[in-house]
Amino acid sequence: MTVPLGAYIAVSAVLFFLGAAGVLVRRNAVVILMCVELMLNASNLALVAFARRAGQLGAGSGLDQRGSVFVVFVFVIAAAEVAVGLAIILAAYRNRPTVNVDDIHEMRG
Amino acid sequence: MFDFLEPLFFALFALGIIGAGAAVVLLRRITAQALLMAFTFACMAGMFLLLGAETIALFQVLIYVGAITILILFGVMFTKQEERAYGLFFQKQAPLATGLAVIVALPVVILAFSFKDPATPSARGSDLIPLATSLFTDYAFPFEVASVLLLAALVGAIVLVKRDEQ
Repeated sequence: MTVPLGAYIAVSAVLFFLGAAGVLVRRNAVVILMCVELMLNASNLALVAFARRAGQLGAGSGLDQRGSVFVVFVFVIAAAEVAVGLAIILAAYRNRPTVNVDDIHEMRG
Repeated sequence: MFDFLEPLFFALFALGIIGAGAAVVLLRRITAQALLMAFTFACMAGMFLLLGAETIALFQVLIYVGAITILILFGVMFTKQEERAYGLFFQKQAPLATGLAVIVALPVVILAFSFKDPATPSARGSDLIPLATSLFTDYAFPFEVASVLLLAALVGAIVLVKRDEQ
């Protein structure tokens, strides 16, 4: 008895939805960054789940490598994104000491 | 004999992911949110283990549970946090948006549960060597581009937070 693919996709979809709702609803820039990370991680779960299925259908080596490679690149993008995102938040904080995105609504320095 | 273990662990990890993810979105205590996000990532690493992707699970623990959580905690430390209301709850468009979301989500759910799993269980083995071979032969150029992107992000982050000495 193995867990079906749909269950993994369902968990991935629920986590992606939670992240998207957080990005839309929360007003704290750091929390928004956290929710973006949740969404990226949910997409990783879907990628790995489909990679296992492709591996089962294909050569039978367990895991299709294209999915894993894509997940590695998503890791790289996520790391770069969180580094630059936090730097932008800190730079904006220095201009105006708030992390509330409603208060950071103009680009003027 | 231990066939029940995979669904059991899947249920535990799924509960951890969804519960902690919902707490990240709904809670108001920023440090607890950051640590719950780390817990979500750790449960996700367990999911990757269940799927047979040990190397991805290792990267997940190293990069997400380690590096990204620490970065977020640094961001929390360097900024003043204040309580503020949620943004978009209970607006007039909520019923309309719910209907649209259901219309979009329903085909996705039906598609997701219409997959038939193959009968033969997959052969389990380390996925490190195939992943490394694939990454350094077929995907060598994207790998180099990714390293340049990381370097650009590093330099960009330093430039953005550097204080002007005047």
